[in-house]
Amino acid sequence: MLDLPFLAQTLSTLAGGIPLTLQLTALSVAGGAVLAFGLALMRTSGSVLLDFPARFYIFAFRGTPLLVQIYIIYYGLSQFPALRQSFLWPFLREAYWCAALALALNTAAYSAEIIRGGLNSVGAGQIEAARAFGMSRVLAFRRIILPQAIRQMLPAYSNEIILMLKSTALASTITLMEVTGLAAKLISQSYRPVEVFVCAGVIYLALNFVVARIFAALQRAFSPETREAPAALPGTRIKADCHG
Amino acid sequence: MAEHSSTPAVDLRGIRKSYGHLEVLHGVSLSARDGEVVSILGSSGSGKSTLLRCVNMLEVPDAGTVSVRGETIEVVRKAGHPSRPADMAQVNRVRAKAAMVFQSFNLWSHLTVLENLIEAPVHVQKRSRRECTAEAEALLERVGIAEKRHHYPAHLSGGQQQRAAIARALAMRPSIMLFDEPTSALDPELVGEVLKVIRNLADEGRTMLIVTHEMAFAREVSNRVVFLHRGVIEEEGVPQDLFANPRSDRLRQFLSREGSRASNSG
Amino acid sequence: MQYYQLMGFGPDGWGRDMLAATGMTVAVGVAGFIAGILLGLCGAAAKLSRFASLRMAAEIYTTVFRGVPDLLVIYLFYFGSSSAISAVASLFGAEGFVGAPAFLTGAVAIGVVSGAYQTQVFVGAVQALSKGEIEAARACGMPSFLLFRRIVLPQAIRFAIPGVGNVWQLVLKESALISVIGLVELMRQAQIGAGSTRQPFSFYLTAAALYLLITFVSGLGFRALEQRAMRGVRRAA
Repeated sequence: MLDLPFLAQTLSTLAGGIPLTLQLTALSVAGGAVLAFGLALMRTSGSVLLDFPARFYIFAFRGTPLLVQIYIIYYGLSQFPALRQSFLWPFLREAYWCAALALALNTAAYSAEIIRGGLNSVGAGQIEAARAFGMSRVLAFRRIILPQAIRQMLPAYSNEIILMLKSTALASTITLMEVTGLAAKLISQSYRPVEVFVCAGVIYLALNFVVARIFAALQRAFSPETREAPAALPGTRIKADCHG
Repeated sequence: MAEHSSTPAVDLRGIRKSYGHLEVLHGVSLSARDGEVVSILGSSGSGKSTLLRCVNMLEVPDAGTVSVRGETIEVVRKAGHPSRPADMAQVNRVRAKAAMVFQSFNLWSHLTVLENLIEAPVHVQKRSRRECTAEAEALLERVGIAEKRHHYPAHLSGGQQQRAAIARALAMRPSIMLFDEPTSALDPELVGEVLKVIRNLADEGRTMLIVTHEMAFAREVSNRVVFLHRGVIEEEGVPQDLFANPRSDRLRQFLSREGSRASNSG
Repeated sequence: MQYYQLMGFGPDGWGRDMLAATGMTVAVGVAGFIAGILLGLCGAAAKLSRFASLRMAAEIYTTVFRGVPDLLVIYLFYFGSSSAISAVASLFGAEGFVGAPAFLTGAVAIGVVSGAYQTQVFVGAVQALSKGEIEAARACGMPSFLLFRRIVLPQAIRFAIPGVGNVWQLVLKESALISVIGLVELMRQAQIGAGSTRQPFSFYLTAAALYLLITFVSGLGFRALEQRAMRGVRRAA
């Protein structure tokens, strides 16, 4: 009943799409993170002039489908001759860069809220102590707020990365042959949608799993305070055991 | 080295502070000389913590002046805007001189105890790491938690955390120490170890302002006691006088209430 | 052609078509959303049940359909049902590929995916109930079914509203993907217009604005619902 050769063949064909999936994910997460950090700072700045544009950006990118955003960038921008002649055009002409850009802009909106949540979650007492000991706002941010915020953000951020992984599938609508694009092609060729779906599904679930494990490890690495207390040998720095 | 001059170490004059429409301090004046230990008592809502926090500008008074070691902190006051300090550099200088110990310890949770102690001396006072570390180790020894130096605050008991917080304050080599209800958040059996450390510091001749509920301790350790009620100083004086012969009714009520509470928790 | 003419309701204007397509978006969204709620209720019941096999089945359902791209699920249902229909049609002498109805397929796909998210929402809502309240009801001798109806359900509904609102926003965005299987909802309509007039930016921007409008109005609606539901509940300070 199970056509193993077909499944194996399908898996290996689809696996060819993994590099592109991963590249798009990595590019969009990296680019998006930088933008998101800026947006989060704008949101927490306290100034209406900075807060409002950031809020609008976040509202617009979270309130419209990613597909529309991709199409605007890939198809829509070609409507403007000024853009076609600019230095950006070699990039914006390519589906690859359009997809990466759209994904990055999209994840920036969601990540900004995650980062903002992380920054806000740092206990007020921690910050007050930093101020009371003479730290300037920048110093307190760098040494106290940011390290603690990063710890708090990790679970939500890992979720967001998994969502981005899934979102790369939309790149297939503008000719990019990542995993979903290859899957669509295979389905229309073989008329065996269930098997292809299962293979593609397995690949995505495996990728999700790897991301989740990486982040679990990162969380453990960043939170030594949640591990067990070191055996008290004065003057020795001991690396505490990690449990699971 | 503390200067023994006529300039008070801390001088608060006519401090007023409101939160919205609620005025919490109605023109309070308080000063402390070098080497003096002043305890500030009062019930909740009396404004005692707010008063203390005006010294290092964690609260900015709406009226009045704050002077630390003769240096008056400049404040910008505009109608319709919250008051704020004019020069943060000046405030940070003052904060490095007047170290604070908080009710909820506020140790930095992502740093070990030792790292907590050297964080501000290294990054704010720009002293050498080696020097700060050596001093920190000695301080931890002094407050009795040397073996916890590489632990994180989460692994320490409340009493140990507060002792670490006191050591952290001492690591700044402050000329003035501010204690904001240092034992209020502690389980009763842990209070003693912290009071012992504070008493020790008082015996050294440090200038200290202590907001506290611990009556017996205040009586024992202070040169002067101030009783605050609803944002006004009701009574002020030497502990022997104040505790033995309270003049105002409210202080009398306060003492009997706190006294019975203390004897109940024994 | 000027933008307002392009999107207007005149003879050359696409305004009417865009609005009709918006209606289709809402329609397929609502259909999928309702299907998702039903599936979510079943999924939650399974996840909270005593039977390990039911719990495992629900776990697989939520893991798979939240972990796999929506587009893939849409392809699965579309090509899957098309294959089945084509097979049946060939029995009657029809040849070649018979496409499954896009609306129905799309709604089912949306339903299945959103159902996985709703399962998590409902499970979370039930688990958020304080054990104390349930205990108090049992102590009064309240039978299980009554307990569920009078104590658990009303509160769980209250806790679920924010999550359900979020899933609705997800559904709206997913509806745009149904365009790839030919349903003329807002996205597809914008594509048609863009292709016809060679003004893709205008059309996609308009589509974006319309999506934003639906999002905004839905958001207001859900917030109002939340506030009504949270009357009398004291939030932790």
